[in-house]
Amino acid sequence: MELKGDLWSLLETSGHPLTQPPPRNPRPADSHAGTGFIDTHGTTVIAVKYNGGVVNVGDRRATANFSVMYDKAEKVLPLDDYILLSVSGSFAKAMEVVRFLRTSFKLYERVYLQSMSLDGKLMELAKVIRAGIPEAMQGIGGFIPILSTFDKERNEGRIFFYDGMGARFESTDFGAAGSGSTHIRGIFDYISKTKKPFHEMTREEALTEALYLLDIAADLDAATGGWHKVLPLAKTISVNGIEDVPESELLELVERIDTSIGQRKRPVTI
Amino acid sequence: MYTPFERDEAFGYRKDSVENKLREGSPVIGVSVEEGLYLLTVCRGQRKVYEIYDRQMFSAIGMQGDIEDVRVSVIQMAHQEGFERSPDDVTLQRLIGFALSRRLKQAFGDILSSSPFVIRALFTELGRTPAQDSFYALNYDGEFRTSTGVAAIAGTALAEDRMLERYGEADVTLSREQVLRRALSAWIAGAQEAFRAGSVSEEAREAENTEEAERALLHDELKTGHIEVGFLERNTQRESRFRLLAPADIAFLNPT
Repeated sequence: MELKGDLWSLLETSGHPLTQPPPRNPRPADSHAGTGFIDTHGTTVIAVKYNGGVVNVGDRRATANFSVMYDKAEKVLPLDDYILLSVSGSFAKAMEVVRFLRTSFKLYERVYLQSMSLDGKLMELAKVIRAGIPEAMQGIGGFIPILSTFDKERNEGRIFFYDGMGARFESTDFGAAGSGSTHIRGIFDYISKTKKPFHEMTREEALTEALYLLDIAADLDAATGGWHKVLPLAKTISVNGIEDVPESELLELVERIDTSIGQRKRPVTI
Repeated sequence: MYTPFERDEAFGYRKDSVENKLREGSPVIGVSVEEGLYLLTVCRGQRKVYEIYDRQMFSAIGMQGDIEDVRVSVIQMAHQEGFERSPDDVTLQRLIGFALSRRLKQAFGDILSSSPFVIRALFTELGRTPAQDSFYALNYDGEFRTSTGVAAIAGTALAEDRMLERYGEADVTLSREQVLRRALSAWIAGAQEAFRAGSVSEEAREAENTEEAERALLHDELKTGHIEVGFLERNTQRESRFRLLAPADIAFLNPT
């Protein structure tokens, strides 16, 4: 048996679909008639820095075309003790990639008895995105992640985002992905210019801004879920690792935001 | 072509040759308690206790290259299985019973073209309760035996018996300090038996088994080596259940 410390090569050998090119034309011929296959998508995820790390929030909705498939989707997922991946786009692909990366990092560490470097981990993610391009070109399986981590050497939070080709960019302050993200993009700049940069905010300030942004995305994007049915998901990553923002804290913040924007329980009649 | 007689003879030579190489290996003892699972040994320079997967770890005696080969291939199988199915499907029963054991047996039996693995390994798997913990002692010829509570591997079968005798009744309620003190004492009993098995008769070895001789043996081993303890923690929020205990955590084991 050939010995490998690399999960991708192992899966290539076993013929796992993740590493294989998709068939040339996976769509049924009559897809135009409306019976075509549509994969489930996660919608808006946001990552912003704060003075002790990074906060990630995501709505809980997963949609397939105009249908809400699931309203308790988890789109902010830990890859290891210090890395969070917030995913948007194809839910199936994103979940598989998260499992792949978790297993891949562990395999590397267990075989080589040392952790994979941050740069190595970022490259693994780029590799999986890149391998998914042929599928994404056919209209299925495309997904865009935001990766946040706490860099213990620099003692600061870091945010990386990717394009569909697997190009990696590092953001100075914030990142967003998913269908609602385009609607709110300019607001990040507005907040940093008129209030203060996110990395100077406290955890609570940054979390509040992120929730405001998510609320606006839910207002402007049909696929992004609001929080009146299910609370959003929020996690922080700091020198202590990854922590969930407790539901009680989220509920309090969400209620405060609702009050501040004059949200009413009943629809307004004109 | 070998005749059946020559074949048996060839197996005999192989067995003797491997057993001779294993005799001087530093024994390993594994204990299961409420807190989790421990593997204790004394290393001579290189590391000896390794994590396999979320709930599995192992340690072995033998040739470094063979241990490394077994280690990497079992880690590889575990991760592939864990990804393609589920981490819940990664079990020692499958890794050893259906893959590793056959591979070792094949290498041992193939007298014409392959050299046998020089290895005796102790694998252990953490369950939800101590009753579900298990140990697999795997031999160079692919034979393996399973046990619960406490298990040991050493250079000779008699040394393994000595270790289990010395450790005594398995008790899951023991504290870490109690467990490790008993485990180290068992390690010494095993090492003392195995290291001299090739040169001194059994009666002579019995006669020399004094507390002082044991202290001297440990003292000698620790001149160049150190005590290593791998731990799989049963109840934890951390991503990884496995860790090697830090020297400070096991300082109480060092002879004064």
